[in-house]
Amino acid sequence: MQETSDYLQFVLAPQMFTGLTMGVAVVLAALGLTIIFGLLDVINMAHGAFYAVGAYLALALERVGFGYIVLLPLVVLVMAAFGYLLQYGLIQHVLTRGRDRHVTTLMLTLGLAMVIEDANRAIFGVETLRPANPIPGSAAIFGMVLPNYRLFLISAGILIVAAVMVVIYRTRFGAMVRAAAFDRQMAASLGVPVKRIYGLTFALGVALTGLAGALLAPVYSIFPTMGHDFLVMAFIVVIVGGLGSVTGAVAAGFLLTQVQALASLVVSPVWGSPIILAVMVFVLIMRPGGLFGRLGHV
Amino acid sequence: MKAINPFLAATMIVLCAAIPAMAEEMIKIGVVTPLTGTYAPIGQQVRWGMELATKEVNQSGGVLGRQIQLLFEDEEASPAVAVQRAERLFEVEHVDFLTGTVNSGSTLAVGQLAERVGRLMATTVSFADSITADQCSPNVFRVNARASQQSAALAAWVSGQKPNPRVFYLGPDYEMGRSTVAAFAARMKDLGAQDGGELFAPLGSQDYTPYFGQIRAARADVLYTSVAGNDSVRLLTQMQEFGLLTNMLVVGASGTVTSQNIKAIGDAANGFGTGVGYTPAIDTPENKDFVQHFQTSYQTDPDLYGADSYGVIYFFKAAAEKAGSTDTAALREAMRGLRWMTPQGEKLMRAGDHQAEQPIYVVRIDGGAFDIVGKVDGGTALGADLCTRF
Repeated sequence: MQETSDYLQFVLAPQMFTGLTMGVAVVLAALGLTIIFGLLDVINMAHGAFYAVGAYLALALERVGFGYIVLLPLVVLVMAAFGYLLQYGLIQHVLTRGRDRHVTTLMLTLGLAMVIEDANRAIFGVETLRPANPIPGSAAIFGMVLPNYRLFLISAGILIVAAVMVVIYRTRFGAMVRAAAFDRQMAASLGVPVKRIYGLTFALGVALTGLAGALLAPVYSIFPTMGHDFLVMAFIVVIVGGLGSVTGAVAAGFLLTQVQALASLVVSPVWGSPIILAVMVFVLIMRPGGLFGRLGHV
Repeated sequence: MKAINPFLAATMIVLCAAIPAMAEEMIKIGVVTPLTGTYAPIGQQVRWGMELATKEVNQSGGVLGRQIQLLFEDEEASPAVAVQRAERLFEVEHVDFLTGTVNSGSTLAVGQLAERVGRLMATTVSFADSITADQCSPNVFRVNARASQQSAALAAWVSGQKPNPRVFYLGPDYEMGRSTVAAFAARMKDLGAQDGGELFAPLGSQDYTPYFGQIRAARADVLYTSVAGNDSVRLLTQMQEFGLLTNMLVVGASGTVTSQNIKAIGDAANGFGTGVGYTPAIDTPENKDFVQHFQTSYQTDPDLYGADSYGVIYFFKAAAEKAGSTDTAALREAMRGLRWMTPQGEKLMRAGDHQAEQPIYVVRIDGGAFDIVGKVDGGTALGADLCTRF
């Protein structure tokens, strides 16, 4: 009996907490991707680059003298403007090409990713950088060590997810986004300013991704190719959750990271990725559209 | 068409005639080292070290009255590319000596090539023990410390700090990670340590926290790790976040914490110990001179690669002067058992396996800088000669 409770308290519970913090990280990293995917039908290969830009931006602002928590809204604003301009100046021009849409946007964003990555390297150098942990120290709860910054990440993550859900599912802007995602022509003919909605949605996606980069930088550190880290996991989460579904991304993000964390108790770490991919294959066989449906379609 | 100035033309002809004559007299040293890619920072140190030593040697009259010329080629940290570039240097440029290889696979492959074409080479960076053990070659020399020298020194120091410790091993899951852990674990076992468990995480892991339960459960006194680059940043800072660094001595491979990632690790690096063949902190007049010259020339500190690459030029100079020529057989004879001066002090090239013997330093990070906390003499760290080919 004692052994069981020890196992629960000292092994299982901390591991699930670990899974939860990783889940928040993954969900934050995937939110922007799923929104852009769901509405614009753009496979955004520059997603990882936006994640890196957010982190570098936070670092630059920190060096200028902003406090870490204060600079987060600034990162959101700058990234949103960056996203809006990119959509307006670049992505929009290759969006209208009908059947080629996937290929043209994929090539464009892939090229964009390379440019951004090299720009980061040119400006900040190849060395690994890391902003200081803004909330150091840890709390002990039921004998578990819970670092303060991870607790902050979990709360911030939950707030951000809730805010995004409210925006998408409960506001007029969200209704227009969902309408445009469901049927662009019909939405336009009913008076939805589709072009602006596209720009704003892309901006929202980029801002969320940049915020994720800024929030996670003190934990995962910053280097030019950091975007590759979460790119694959974010795509898996988006696919398992259902293309463009915000609820789906949240559910899949937490599910997959719990699977990963708990699996690492019993199998060798190298099996982490194969297990995640096996879950993805299984979900796709059972529900080809992912756990939840496409944005605007349910 | 404008007529060519006859004076200019005459000057050109004289110059053209003079260039081959000068090239005749120069000693050519080929340097195949990574100038691009992940290992480019290492290649940069190699290049700086060699260029600094060459400049000094040439200014003081050269080797056997001849100037040294360095010919660089990009290794790209790939054995296949290294062999191709080395072949060009040997066959087309007719270099007298080859050095610079970083990747251990490149050193082994270029070593075989050197044997085939009857020339000599030396590595100043490669760590793999096999280069001067079971895969030793009569044409290959190593002037830097090999992995087992570093781990021997570190193991001896760890046992002094915590007698009969319980050690947990964490390595990146590929050949280097597994071999470094196996080598260190074997040494610690000989010194009476208990095995607290081992773990191999994928290269480039984002989050090490899923493994912390296992590390905690092991109740280890010492953690040995051979992760490198960004992985070190994440492992150490995340361990600090979860309070795992207190009450545990953390040691690792010499590549785990370097000048490249020490700033990002910050105070989570404090207390980390490792064994190295060189550190700028070595307190000798020769080293202080070297560090000062290096800093004036390149505005940065030399690391172990820069120091050993500086040393190899003096190794070649000492050997060529002892042999009186750059002929392969004479040069090899001169190199075997050679004693020569380096920033680390005098080194001995062991004749039996072509491995340099040198003192190994145990360094520990304190406030972002490496402090020397221990020194193991060359003979103890080097261990037995395992080369049976010559």
